[in-house]
Amino acid sequence: MLKRRRLPHALSLLSVAMLAASVNAQAQGDAETVMAQTCAACHSSDKEGQYTRIDNQRKTPEGWLMTIARMQVMHGLKISDEDRRTVVKYLADRQGLAPDETEGSRYALERRLNTLETFDSQQFTETCARCHSGARVELQRRPAEEWEHLVHFHLGQWPSLEYQALSRDRDWLPLALNEMVPELAAQLPLETDAWTKWQLADKPQPAGQWRLAGHMPGRGSMSGVMSVEAQGKDVYSLNFEGRYADGTPINGKGQAIVYTGYEWRGDLEIDGTPMRQVFALAGGRLEGRMFETLHDEVGFDISGARIDSGEQALLALQPSFLKSGESAELTLVGTGLGGQPDFGDGVEVEEVLASSATEMRVRVKVADGASGVREVRIGDSDTQSLSLYDRIDSVRVVPDYSVSRIGGNGSSTPKVYGLFDAEAWSAGADGETGTADDYRIGVVPATWRVEPFDERAAEDEDVRFAGTMDAATGRFTPGAAGPNPERRMSTNNAGNLKVIAEVADGERTLSGSGQMIVTVQRWNNPPIP
Amino acid sequence: MTPQNKIFAAPLGLLMTAVVLGSGPVQAAALESGKEYMAVTNYPNNVHVLDLDSDTLIKSCQLPDAFGPGTLQMAPDKHTAYILNNHYEDIYGVDLDSCELVFHAKMSQAPNERTKTLFSFAVSPDGKELYAVQNPTELHRDHYRVQPPRLAVYDTAAGLDAKPVRTFEAPRQVTVMQTGADGSLYMVGPDVYKMNVETGEREVAIPSRNWQRPNYTPPDVLSVWPIQTATRDFTFMYTTARFQDETQNLETADWLWGYMNINLDTGETETRDFGPITEVYFTGTRSPKDPNLMFGVLNRLTKYDVEKQELIQAAELDHSYYCIAINGAGDKVYLAGTFNDVAIYDADSLEKIGNIELPGGDMAITSSQIFVR
Ligand code: HEC
Ligand code: HEC
Repeated sequence: MLKRRRLPHALSLLSVAMLAASVNAQAQGDAETVMAQTCAACHSSDKEGQYTRIDNQRKTPEGWLMTIARMQVMHGLKISDEDRRTVVKYLADRQGLAPDETEGSRYALERRLNTLETFDSQQFTETCARCHSGARVELQRRPAEEWEHLVHFHLGQWPSLEYQALSRDRDWLPLALNEMVPELAAQLPLETDAWTKWQLADKPQPAGQWRLAGHMPGRGSMSGVMSVEAQGKDVYSLNFEGRYADGTPINGKGQAIVYTGYEWRGDLEIDGTPMRQVFALAGGRLEGRMFETLHDEVGFDISGARIDSGEQALLALQPSFLKSGESAELTLVGTGLGGQPDFGDGVEVEEVLASSATEMRVRVKVADGASGVREVRIGDSDTQSLSLYDRIDSVRVVPDYSVSRIGGNGSSTPKVYGLFDAEAWSAGADGETGTADDYRIGVVPATWRVEPFDERAAEDEDVRFAGTMDAATGRFTPGAAGPNPERRMSTNNAGNLKVIAEVADGERTLSGSGQMIVTVQRWNNPPIP
Repeated sequence: MTPQNKIFAAPLGLLMTAVVLGSGPVQAAALESGKEYMAVTNYPNNVHVLDLDSDTLIKSCQLPDAFGPGTLQMAPDKHTAYILNNHYEDIYGVDLDSCELVFHAKMSQAPNERTKTLFSFAVSPDGKELYAVQNPTELHRDHYRVQPPRLAVYDTAAGLDAKPVRTFEAPRQVTVMQTGADGSLYMVGPDVYKMNVETGEREVAIPSRNWQRPNYTPPDVLSVWPIQTATRDFTFMYTTARFQDETQNLETADWLWGYMNINLDTGETETRDFGPITEVYFTGTRSPKDPNLMFGVLNRLTKYDVEKQELIQAAELDHSYYCIAINGAGDKVYLAGTFNDVAIYDADSLEKIGNIELPGGDMAITSSQIFVR
C-alpha cells in the first residue's frame, strides 16, 4: 500500500546548514535585544526580561531552530536569518541539554535516518513516536504544563490527528493529557541534576589538533587530523587532512560553532563536496558523524581525540580483523601512541613499519588456529576490538532494514541512496551460526545485487523500476521521482527489495541479505526527523 | 491530474458579496425533475453536475474560498448541494439550478477560534436544518487550547452569514453523519450514535469501538465519505480480526471486512462481515438492486457476495479512486475522487463503460453524490 499513497505536501524551509557557522555568532546582548524586538510581541511576561513559554523549555540547537522556524511559518514571526542564528545560539547555550541528556538520542541529530527506534513505553511509541522520531521528544525537557501546551498545539494544529490510525481506536486527547503528559514530565523534566552540573562544569576546549578516525558504509575507513582555530566566541575555523585506508587523500576546510559548551556543528567542503559535522565534545574526545550536506545518508561515523591532551587514545584499528595463520599489515590510529601495542594471545608483532604519536603501522603474524575477539590497547589507552578468524561462517547486510527514496527528475528533493556494508561473522567456538558465541569479524568486500522482496514486488517488477545497485560498492541509486507511465497504474518508482551481498572466503561463497524499501520523497525534512 | 493542480489562488474578494457565482463551461440550466444526476467537487473551486442518462457533464458552478475537502451532501429536495470547504472551516449551500450561493456558515464562532469540521455534517429530512460537529481550538497569543467539540444546528434559510440556532456537546472523533426519517442524527464516532437534535441527548445506535462480539478485535472504522444512497442506507465499512477461539491468537485470526448499516427510513441497524481482507478499500456500498452484493474500491473495483462472504469479481483500474456511488437502477458504478475523471463501470460485468473528464484539478477526497431531482 505504501507505494500508492500520495503523501501530504509540506515544505520545510529549514536545514541543518542554518546551524553551521557562516557568520560569527553574536553576543548575548544582541540576542536579548532581538528577543525583545521579536518574541516579546507574543511572549512578553509581567517580569522584565522574561518570556512566557520560551523560558520553560530546554532543547538542542536543532530543536530551537525548529521552534523559531515554526514561529515564522505558522505565526508570522519576522526575523532575519542572522538574528535567528543569534537567538538559537543564545537559547541553546542558556537552555540546552547536558551531554548525558542527549545520550541515546544522538542518532537523530546525527541524521542516522535508518535507525529503528524502540522504546520501553508502548504508550509513548504509539502516541508520540509515530509521526516523527521519538528522539525529537526525548531531546527536550519541559515541566508538565509545557508538555500539556504541546499536546494542545498538536491537536489544535492538526485536528485530523485524533482520527488517524493509533488514535481513532482510543480516546486520544484524554490519554495524551492525563497519561502521556505526566509520563513525559517525569521522564523529561525541565530541572535536572545533569543540567545543573553541566552549567557549572569545565567545558571542553575545541581549539587545537584533533586526530579523527572514521568509517563510511560502502567506502571503508579513513583517518586524518583536524586543526581547529578559534575565530570568535564559540566559532572556529577548521582544516582537515586525511586519507582513506586505501591511500586516497581526503581533505577539506570549513567552520564550526560550539553550542551549549559541547555541541559541535561544522560545515565544510571536503574535496569539493559540502559536508557537515555533528559531534559531541567530551573532554579530549569527540564522537559523531560527518555527512554530505545534500545526501545525509552518505557519511562517516567519526571518533576523535585531541592530540595535545597528553592522553593515550586508540581510536581505530585498520583493518579490525585478521585471518589466522597469515601475516598482515595493521594501522593503529590514535594519540599518544608509542611503545608496543598489546594484541593478546596468538598475535605477534613481526615488525613496526612506522611509528608516530598519532599512527603506528605494524606487521603482525596471527598464529594458526587463533580465533575470537582480542581487546587491543597501547599503554593505558582504551581498547579497540580485533577479530581473529579462520573462516567466515555467515554474512550480514548492514543495515538489515533500510529506506531509500526516489528523487530528482525535477522534484525538489534529491534521491536518497541506499548504502550498505557486508559484515562477516564467525560462528564462534561451537561452530554453529546463530548462537550466543557468534562474533563479528568485520566489514568485508562483497558483490551486491537486489531481488524482489516478495511476490508483490516481483509482480510489479520493482527490481526493474526502483533503481540500480552498484555491484562493487553496494551503493543503491533509486529511480527518478514522479509517476512512471511504464508501471502498472502509472505508479511511481517505489519498490520493496531484498539486498544481497555475496562474499568470497577462499573457495567458498557466502551470502547475506537485508530489506530495503524504496519509497517516495520526504516532503518535509526538518533538522530533527 | 498533476499535483500542481493543488496550488491555486483563493479568489479573494469574491466571497460574500457576489451572489451569483460564475457558471461553468456549459450553460447553467435548471435540472429536470425525475432525472438522475451526480454532483461532485474538485480543485480549484468547482462543483459539477453530471447527467447520468447520457453520462455527460452538464454544468459547473464555482465555489468561493479555498478548496478542501469538498465533502458534499444533497438537500432532500435535491436543489441545494451543501459543501464543506475552505480547509474544513466553512459550509456552503449552492443552488444547483442557478449556481447561486444560498447558504454559508463559518464553523468558527469567535475571532480567536479556529474550528474545523471533519466531514461531519448532515441535513435534516425536511431540509430546514443543517447539523455540523465542530472541533474548535482557541488560539491564544502564545498557546493553543483544544476545546470540546460541539454540535451546531443551523437554519438552512439563514443565508450567507448563518449562525447556530442551537449547540450541544458532542463526542470527539466524529466523522460522517446522516439524518433518519424521524429526524434523528446518526454520527459515526468511537461508537455510532443516534442524537435527538432537539435535546442533544444521544444513545448508541451501533456499538463500534465498544462492540461486544465475542472473539473479535474492536473494529477499525474510518469513513470520511458520507455516501447518500438510493435505498436510504447509510453504510460504512470496518476491518476486524476474528479469533479462532478464546486464546485470542492474532496469528491464526481471520482478518475481515465488514459493513455497518443504518436504514435511514426504518432506523434498522446492521453489523456484518462480508469478506476476508485481501486489499484496502476507501469506500464501499451495496447494490440497490441486490443488497447481497457489496462493492469496494481503491486500487481495484471489487464485488462481494455478502452471504457467502466471498470476493466474486474484481476489475483493475487505471488509477486509484476513493469514492464509490451506484445509480438508482443499480446497473452502473461511478468511481470518483483522486484525480479529475469519473470512471463508470457496468455493475454486472465490472467492465469499464465510460469516463467523464472534469474541468479543473483533483477531486482528492471529495464525496460524489448521486440523486434524482
Ligand atoms: C506572532 C506571535 C508569535 C511570535 C512573534 C513568537 N511566537 Fe512563539 N509562539 C506563538 C504561539 C501562538 C505559540 C503556541 C503555538 C505553537 O506552539 O506553535 C508559540 C509557542 C512558542 C514556544 C513553545 C513551543 C512548543 O514546542 O511548545 C516557544 C519555545 C516559542 N514560541 C518561542 C518563540 C521565540 C523564541 C520567538 C522569537 C524569536 C517567538 N516564539 C515569537 C506565537 C509567537
Ligand atoms: C500526527 C502526527 C504527530 C503526532 C502523533 C505527534 N507529533 Fe509531535 N510534531 C508533529 C509535527 C508535524 C511537528 C512539527 C511542527 C513544526 O513544524 O515545527 C511536531 C513537532 C513536535 C515537537 C517539536 C516542537 C518544538 O517546537 O519544540 C515536539 C517536541 C513534539 N512534536 C513532541 C510530540 C509529543 C510529545 C507527542 C505525543 C504527545 C507528539 N509529538 C505526537 C507531528 C506529530
